[in-house]
Amino acid sequence: MQFPYFQFPILGDPLIIMIDAVLHVFISHGVAIGVVAMILVAEALGMRRESDDWENLAEAAAKPTVIIITGIGAVTGVGIWFVTSSLVPAGIGSMLRVFFWPWFTEWVVFFLEVVVILIYYFTWKRWTGHLKKYHVALAGAYVILASASAFLITGILGFMLTSDGWPWTKDLAGAFFNPSFGPQLAWRVAISITMGGLLMIVYLVFFHSATRKFRAEAVHRYALVLSVPLPAMFLFGYWWFTTVPVGFRTHAKPSLLMWAFAENVPLFWMVHVSAAVLIVALLVAGIHKRVLATRILVVPALAVVFLFVAEFERVREFIRGPYLMPGYMYANTVLLSEKDFFDEHGMLPYAHWFNLMAPEATDRQKGAFLFAQNCGTCHSIGGKNDIRDRFRGRSRDGAYVIIGHTEEMVPWMPPFSGSDKERRLMSDFLVGLAEGRDTLFETTRYPPPAKETP
Amino acid sequence: VNFGHDLLLNPPIRETALRGLLFGTFLLHMLFVLLTVGTAILALSYFIHAWWDNRLSELRWDKRILRMFLMHKSLAVVLGVGPLLLIQVAFTIPFFTGVTLFSPVWLLIILLLIIAFISFDSLGHKIDVHPYVHLVAGIVAMAALLAVPGFFVAVLVATENPERWLAVIQNGFGYDARLTLHWLLRYLHVIGASVVFGAVFHYLFVVHKHEGKRRELLRWLVFGLLVQVAGGIALYWSVLKPPDVAVYAYLSIGIVLTALLVWLATRPMRADQVLHYGLVVPALLLLLMVMLLTRQNFQDRGLSGVMPVAKANARAYGERLAPYEKEALERYRRRMDIVYDNGPTIYQQSCSFCHGPDGLGDGPEAGELQVPPEALAEIRTTRGYIEQIFADGVDGTAMPGFTYYDRRRRRLLITALDTRWQVLHAPPPVEHKVAKAVMDSARKTWSNTCAGCHGPDGRGTAQSAGFKPPPPDFTQYVPVPSRAFNIITRGYPGTLMSSHSYLAADLRWGLVTIVEEMRTKDGA
Repeated sequence: MQFPYFQFPILGDPLIIMIDAVLHVFISHGVAIGVVAMILVAEALGMRRESDDWENLAEAAAKPTVIIITGIGAVTGVGIWFVTSSLVPAGIGSMLRVFFWPWFTEWVVFFLEVVVILIYYFTWKRWTGHLKKYHVALAGAYVILASASAFLITGILGFMLTSDGWPWTKDLAGAFFNPSFGPQLAWRVAISITMGGLLMIVYLVFFHSATRKFRAEAVHRYALVLSVPLPAMFLFGYWWFTTVPVGFRTHAKPSLLMWAFAENVPLFWMVHVSAAVLIVALLVAGIHKRVLATRILVVPALAVVFLFVAEFERVREFIRGPYLMPGYMYANTVLLSEKDFFDEHGMLPYAHWFNLMAPEATDRQKGAFLFAQNCGTCHSIGGKNDIRDRFRGRSRDGAYVIIGHTEEMVPWMPPFSGSDKERRLMSDFLVGLAEGRDTLFETTRYPPPAKETP
Repeated sequence: VNFGHDLLLNPPIRETALRGLLFGTFLLHMLFVLLTVGTAILALSYFIHAWWDNRLSELRWDKRILRMFLMHKSLAVVLGVGPLLLIQVAFTIPFFTGVTLFSPVWLLIILLLIIAFISFDSLGHKIDVHPYVHLVAGIVAMAALLAVPGFFVAVLVATENPERWLAVIQNGFGYDARLTLHWLLRYLHVIGASVVFGAVFHYLFVVHKHEGKRRELLRWLVFGLLVQVAGGIALYWSVLKPPDVAVYAYLSIGIVLTALLVWLATRPMRADQVLHYGLVVPALLLLLMVMLLTRQNFQDRGLSGVMPVAKANARAYGERLAPYEKEALERYRRRMDIVYDNGPTIYQQSCSFCHGPDGLGDGPEAGELQVPPEALAEIRTTRGYIEQIFADGVDGTAMPGFTYYDRRRRRLLITALDTRWQVLHAPPPVEHKVAKAVMDSARKTWSNTCAGCHGPDGRGTAQSAGFKPPPPDFTQYVPVPSRAFNIITRGYPGTLMSSHSYLAADLRWGLVTIVEEMRTKDGA
């Protein structure tokens, strides 16, 4: 409420954050940690065995890797910040204050990461002979720094799910090293190596020019490397799930990638077990140096792992339900302590921008703004998760009643915050929308103009 | 204007330190931003120039420049994270307001950066594409890249000028002519600076190799500096607040430094000497610092009124909220203990506020509803019918769909309803026995009166299906006899079902019998 309200059109706020975040995870984990670790393996083998094949593979793979890391990885990482500062400024602003030092450290680590990868890239042809081992060490340093980034960010992400005692103690160390931190970090390392290994195999069998013999040998080597993190990925995922508070755990099913999985558990297992079988088949083919079979299996396997990662991230984001910072702030950035305050005193008197933008607001403007502030983080009008679908067919009084009980009725929804009069204003507005009596063309800025013409 | 309130969590670091860090990190960031943009401008213009002169095969000089793009842009991005973090903590209200006023372009920055980076880096590392491809990719990338500083400047101009925020909104989330001019001149000042920094940086790489290039880069440098002087004067003229003494001091230093740089740059052009790096680089860095100090000065003066107000408001607001905190945390603790994995809990949480703790339709919200909530303890229905209601809700009432519960939870809930109130059982027998003659009369009444809405077979009619709410399908869903009798007698509030107390009690019981039979005959 302290900031002018903007909602991402059509896709809605959560989806756009998720698209950017998942893309970033693919690159920051899969490429920055994973592929660079695989390049490190190749370069180290090249050095130890004095093999040009391994050396060439490492060098050839490094170029697109560096371009992707610095061109998309870094930008989508900053992008999460950009998107959240625009869509949930109070949320990211509060998080920044709690985790200022981890974030500041992360900035230093991120800077070092970029410096190291640039030196690594630009010194490839120069640091040879006795300098080669330092070059290999640079790759190692980069992997460690990229993992340190994951370490720092995982503390913050974990907090958003398991804030534990922080709401009472406001203790930073406790907030950072929260219960889901350890397993989530382990999971992230495992999927990084997994995605890295798979991406490297894709590069090897589709893009890299090398002898048949070397390709088979390299596929064998990377399949062996993969055989450790792949099962670990599932194991750590399960371990992470056990740290999720029981009150949240029941939100797991609806947070899966597809609603069909929640509806039909056998389907969920069928799809996920098939995926595991596919991955095992790839491992077997790779370990047995079957390049053709690897070629056929590796892209589907990579897609499966990407989907698994996307699913994990979605579950992690969704499962914490109504809270953005559990114990402090609801997902709609209303503070837990503001809920009762607004119920008693009303929300609109404290909606700074609303009062400036619409000093003589109509009921419709009030209703629309209350909707945006209370529900707009997840619901849109006319876009994804359309609120009109939720209210279609409801009676006016029924909508009023439901709005007052969202928190109990839907376990992952925050409560409505506002006075009784405001609750009535919002429900009237929404029923009007759902019945098609009222239309709203402006879906990004709230409050909308008092009157609109189509 | 009351400027809202700052965030309630205290900043984790002293303000002076925060501002010092912010300035330092911003300086570093801007240095690499200028090198990035300057490198791109040089590379593309050299490419076009070479193509124009038909020297493509011989030259490809832009490739060498573009390879540097990778480094500059990477450092520009990573160094930008620091000031982004610090400004959000130091100037929370103004900065987020600036961002949210220009949300669409702020979000677009990400996409534009990806397009620019991937295009330029691909060109720099695989230059042997067809010249047309190079040109098109280069121009797209350039356009994307050049838009980014423009968007940043827009957000910063907004951040620095809180007294204009409302005007920006009233102007349809855009600047008026005055602000647009100021924004444009500031933007051009950044682009001009990019040319200057880019030229000097790349000069370093050609200084001992290509004399021709050396001269060309010097011309770029002088050109850039002269543009900066002209643009800088216009920029001072366009500022929104009168400059103070410090600004005039910065301006004077800037003019002296620029004059020095022009002299340093033109000397080697005349005498065929090499640029004096020992003087040029420090002078340039100082110039950048002066540029940013001037910006800082306007920002500090622009925000001097807002920041204390926002902080004082936050304190006052925090004090108003304090009494609510304890209860809020208590509610949170209770909430975290609720696990929606069993029917009774789901009923308690999702249904009882209307249907009542004992399923009598007397929940705390029942009084608000024109169509009273169903007394679940007094109905007999089927699993399929409840599933249907869970899928669609009941039109014209408060009853929503419950599709957000997965199949297992819906089943658990239905089972809980059945365990507690036998909703899936057959209706109890109608204990009030009715004589055959009355029963015949009841059947007639059904056909003449009830069937109009409920249909001859109790399934409703095409017309009544559109009622809000529609009558239930009696083959699937009936009230227990005593409740059915009450409904016939008193009607169902909020619906077309009116009171039929004028019918003889025996006849009403006859109607109850008909209804109950419909359910047992077809549905059980």
